[in-house]
Amino acid sequence: MALSASDFVVATQALNKTYQIGYTEVQVLKGVTLNVAKGEFVALCGPSGSGKTTLLNLISGIDRPSSGIIYVLGEDLAIQDEDFLAEFRCDNVGYVFQSYNLVSTLTVAENIAFPMEWARKPASEIEARVVKLLETVGLQQRANHFPAQLSGGEQQRVAFARALANDPELILADEPTGNLDTKNGQKITQMLRHLKADGKTVIVATHDPELMQLANRTECLEDGRLADQDE
Amino acid sequence: MSETSFPIKDLWRRKMQTSLALISLITCVAATVFLLLFSEQLGFGINSAAENALTVGYSMIFSSFLLFVGILVFAVGAVIVSFIAFLLMAQRTRDFGLIKAAGCPNGLVFSYFFTELFIVLFVGCVLGVALGFLTDYAVINLSAFQAYPKALNLWYGPLVFVAFLVFGLVFGLKPLLNASRLSPIIALSPVQYFGLTEGSRFKALSKSKLTLNIAARSLFRRQSATVRIVFFLSIVFILLTVSITGSIIAKDTTTARVEETEGKDLLLVAHTDMGNQYSALLSKFSGGNETTNFNYLDLNLAIPEAALHQLNVISGIANFETRLICKGRLQELMNFTIDPDTQATNLIGDNRETDALIVGVDSEKVLSSWFIEGRFLRGANSSEAVVGDSVAAVMFEKPLSQSFVMQNATFNVVGLCLDPINNGFVAFVSLEKLENLNKVSSPNVVFVQLDSSFDYASVVAQMQSHLASVNSDLKVFDLNATLKKNIGFLGAIWSVVLFLPLFILGAATLCLIAYLVLAIDEQHHEFAVLRALGAKPKTVVTILAIQSLIVLFSSFAVGISLGVIITLMILIPQPVVTSFAILEIAAWLLTALVGMFMLSLYPAVRFARKPVLKIMS
Repeated sequence: MALSASDFVVATQALNKTYQIGYTEVQVLKGVTLNVAKGEFVALCGPSGSGKTTLLNLISGIDRPSSGIIYVLGEDLAIQDEDFLAEFRCDNVGYVFQSYNLVSTLTVAENIAFPMEWARKPASEIEARVVKLLETVGLQQRANHFPAQLSGGEQQRVAFARALANDPELILADEPTGNLDTKNGQKITQMLRHLKADGKTVIVATHDPELMQLANRTECLEDGRLADQDE
Repeated sequence: MSETSFPIKDLWRRKMQTSLALISLITCVAATVFLLLFSEQLGFGINSAAENALTVGYSMIFSSFLLFVGILVFAVGAVIVSFIAFLLMAQRTRDFGLIKAAGCPNGLVFSYFFTELFIVLFVGCVLGVALGFLTDYAVINLSAFQAYPKALNLWYGPLVFVAFLVFGLVFGLKPLLNASRLSPIIALSPVQYFGLTEGSRFKALSKSKLTLNIAARSLFRRQSATVRIVFFLSIVFILLTVSITGSIIAKDTTTARVEETEGKDLLLVAHTDMGNQYSALLSKFSGGNETTNFNYLDLNLAIPEAALHQLNVISGIANFETRLICKGRLQELMNFTIDPDTQATNLIGDNRETDALIVGVDSEKVLSSWFIEGRFLRGANSSEAVVGDSVAAVMFEKPLSQSFVMQNATFNVVGLCLDPINNGFVAFVSLEKLENLNKVSSPNVVFVQLDSSFDYASVVAQMQSHLASVNSDLKVFDLNATLKKNIGFLGAIWSVVLFLPLFILGAATLCLIAYLVLAIDEQHHEFAVLRALGAKPKTVVTILAIQSLIVLFSSFAVGISLGVIITLMILIPQPVVTSFAILEIAAWLLTALVGMFMLSLYPAVRFARKPVLKIMS
């Protein structure tokens, strides 16, 4: 039986992305077709500049494809406006950036809480969830500190907690262990393992062999193409 | 790398920040030079338009306004230059640390950044001064200002250039010195950069409170810059309030005083020559000329008793008042005062003299009312006098403690009044006393107040015919036309003064926009993160709008309060504040506030429209 886009959490078809840099056009993604089923853990590998982050950006709705089809959780992201995409990201996607990207003016607890506050959840629910997530990432004592006062590993854990705040269906992580030492890297891997066990759909861009082992499947990007989709 | 090539290359590399700082500097310096030049030309314009017009008191109100506006314009310029210099250097604390960490000696890093500051300030001030002169040249050649003098005070150029360059260097030097004192570790620390230590206990917020929280914290993070922009905008709002409130209240006050003094809806009955002379004396305020060598005491000009009797029998007349008007020479009498503490006597007065219009009035029957300091005349045949503001200004030190001699009689000054007749060179004395001194028994003018329930035209017609039956040269003069001309003249001058705030408003709006552009530049990564995590574009606009509102409202509150206090307590004595004036002022200031706020949102709206990834990059 043939599967349709709605059967997948992520379904892309012949996805292309081109950037104009000065007078030069750079094609970052070249006809990427990728389907990720619910509860699947996919590792994206590939050298720097191969298009991993761009693909994650397109899946999260942060960026738009130049051409091709992209359905995420049944929504055609290529045709939606900015407001829809913002709400979509807030409710359905947890994104862990490579450079953490915490809001420097908000405390650790506030950084974790704000996606829920945007989703207009009740205050009691938000407060309970923040406490639980701080426990999960082991940063209860750092709740009222600002990001600038945390180490890189701690910031990455806060970023993870924030990505899980609205209990999203889809988790995206861009080289989550790339900037961390072994100990902190293992903590992040442990968190991803829990997410997999909880049945979350996870796509991780990584070079980390441990994370690749954790994945149900690994897709490798090279020069904007998935390895099994070579011309 | 040489000490000059690094700063130049660094400035070139940071094109956005450099051009923003330069544009703000050039705008500010140009606006200051232009406003100084223009307000001086405006001052000359008003003075030349008011030459041989206005009273000394009114002229002083205009002069103090323009002087105050000039000082504030300069202060606004100085504050904003120092603000830009501070921002320019405060943003470099981290770079300072980076270069020091790379092994560059402290002195050399300091000289790099100081040279950058000097280059930006020098170029900004030179171009700003040039643009200021060009703008003034362009504006003054517009048809609306053709009447104003075109001679420029070139000294404003070097004055503004040197003063602002020094201000900029001093204020830019402070953050630079602070940065040079920090160790590289502290200078590079994000805590140092972001200025936040520890937050309060976590409590979940509503979406709107969260937005407010982010906006307020970002403002707090830029505490120094925020305090400076609030300080700067407060001065702008003081200037705006003084100009707008002052102009409107001063216009109402001066208009009300002219109306009260000249007597609204009063008719003048006099011999044709005397009536024309009186109208000319009144319109001298707005530039008219009276007949010189006019013999006021000519018997032909006297109002006969029969004419007064005729006026008594016309039923539409509510009241009338007789006056004797003549010219006289006043001579100041020296006097002394006793110091209440030391009991020492102090001589006052200098036997000064002036020509003035002498008006004899019956204090019990006067139909006009004056804005008076002291009191009006009391009793018939008294030796009291009330002098006009121009007489008081040119002849007396402490008029209310002094006396003058006129026609060998001594008069004690009991009050000062603002009366536009003869440009304030007037003295009011008892009618009976003046008649005795001049040995005449008849007045030469009569002021008539009509009963408003009667038809104006028919009463005037009756008056004309009754008076003609006594003396065909006696005429009824409607003084409302002269009154309107005088009020129109005042209104025109105040309208020109009101023109100044528009330029200030423009410069201030540009600066607020520059501040918001800097705020966006500093927060753009955070906005990108917020957008990436689900914030809508309008949330970003809301955060920036809140920041703009906080800055605007705090400076608005300070500026308006101080502006109103300065206007009402210092610049205008005993102001007339009508409810319409309050509405008019509120409408002007509110329009300015809303206009500035809306324009300040332009960079925010543009920024919010950018795709998330473009902001992130």
